[in-house]
Amino acid sequence: MNPILMKGKGLVVGTARGEALVSSKAFAFAHSVDPSTGVVTDVRSDVRGKNVRGKILFYPFGKGSTTASSWFLETVRLGNNPTAIVTEGVDLSAVIGSVMANVMYGREIPVVVGITRKASADLKSGNTVTLDAAKGEVKGED
Amino acid sequence: MHLDSAQERMLRGEEGEAKRFAMEIASKVGDAVGADQLVPIKSAHVLAHYSSLHDAGVEVLERFANSGGKFAVPTSVDPASIDLQQWRSFGIPEDYARQQFRLCDAYAKMGGMRCWTCVQYQVCNFPRQGDTVAWAESSAVVFANSVLGSRSNIITAGMDVACAVLGLTPRFGMLLDENRKAVVSFKLNVGVLRDLDFRSIGFFIGRNSGQRVPALVGLPDSVTSDQIKHLGASAAAAGPVSMIHFPGITPGSRTLSEASSGERVEEIEITRSGLGDVEADLNQISELPDLVAFGVPHLSVNELGELARVLEGRRLRKGVRLYAYTSSQAYDMAERSGISETIEQAGARISHSTDAEISPLKVLGFNTVLTNSAKLAEIVSSEGEIKVGYASGKEIVEKVTT
Repeated sequence: MNPILMKGKGLVVGTARGEALVSSKAFAFAHSVDPSTGVVTDVRSDVRGKNVRGKILFYPFGKGSTTASSWFLETVRLGNNPTAIVTEGVDLSAVIGSVMANVMYGREIPVVVGITRKASADLKSGNTVTLDAAKGEVKGED
Repeated sequence: MHLDSAQERMLRGEEGEAKRFAMEIASKVGDAVGADQLVPIKSAHVLAHYSSLHDAGVEVLERFANSGGKFAVPTSVDPASIDLQQWRSFGIPEDYARQQFRLCDAYAKMGGMRCWTCVQYQVCNFPRQGDTVAWAESSAVVFANSVLGSRSNIITAGMDVACAVLGLTPRFGMLLDENRKAVVSFKLNVGVLRDLDFRSIGFFIGRNSGQRVPALVGLPDSVTSDQIKHLGASAAAAGPVSMIHFPGITPGSRTLSEASSGERVEEIEITRSGLGDVEADLNQISELPDLVAFGVPHLSVNELGELARVLEGRRLRKGVRLYAYTSSQAYDMAERSGISETIEQAGARISHSTDAEISPLKVLGFNTVLTNSAKLAEIVSSEGEIKVGYASGKEIVEKVTT
């Protein structure tokens, strides 16, 4: 496929390259990702059974409990976290989780927003994504 | 985000390590979300339950507490993962309780109110209209924005404590007038409302709002604050909802037109079949459950009284537990009012200062849970380990008692 170029806005800066995991539904870390493995457990998720570890995780927006940032942080503590997060709307839990990962464990997990489901419609889980949050640039390719 | 000279001093560590750490978090989050400045808050509400904070959360809270952190404003706390008094009798393992008590100790050391409830606005934390607060607990934030007319973003774990220590929060999102306007309106067309409907309506709104601020038109005058509590909790569990305009109830929104500042809004009708879809989606079992859980969010003493009336003269079937979750304050009142006795005579129990969705249900051996809480049904099914059923309180009691 031709590379898919997407332009958003970096909320937490950093660069990342890795495999995409793409959900088109509201996503939660709280009660929905097992921090001890990184596996998505949510029965309503379209990426149930997939692992977020090392992935560039795409979802339109967050849902659910305000504990999401601590579930996220526990994945970081255990090394099962996604490498970067790309959303359509601001998911405050992802932002706070990423900041906490930085101040607690010195990790850099970029967060990019403003990538609509339409813009990422051709992107599939398993595609390779290169991301530069400072520029808001997200590129997907086979 | 602009920091004034006092805030710069904090960031440099001149006001101690806890404030430095809090300011580092708040300034990074503020920069990320495009806040222009930090503004004072009247109160905070934070999380300190082990099931969701995990060991990472214990490390965060102890780092604040051990570096001299003190809450700068009145601060309440969400339920713990265990009943703090009766945990042994509920079968909680020692090592699990130990981690929860580490969180309790760190929280207490920082000077928080020991309320352990998700309905702090019914118990101990009462902001007035127009107050800015920094609250965790999505259901409480919806109540604050939609009913009290206070202003809060849904402040998630880690940042909640930072705001409480600073007495400040970044100004963005729901603190700003332009982000509080209703942009989608849900219109009720479902006939007479039953109690379960309020929860299903909330869930429907949460699922269909996306990130748009919703309004809900058509609630009857008879709606109670408890019903709105459950409606808001369901909405926030199903989607990124932090405010619902209820014209005639929400301060500043006497009409839909006021709620949307006169702008046109998309209209979505809520029909009986829409609610039926929610019920079908949340209800995965028909068999007798291991556990019936009422009280996500916490039941008020009035709701405990209603439960007692329904349970009076009945007896729980063998093999089924029924726990009603509440605050310690409502628990005490229920004891003094004879409500607890009626509930316990039916074979049910009241558990306080904890809640079902943050209890280690699987560890306690429950494989099926039946509830009238759409929030609990959503959370339990998200974890994927326990099967969940969703029905009205009355139907549930009829099913599990003789």
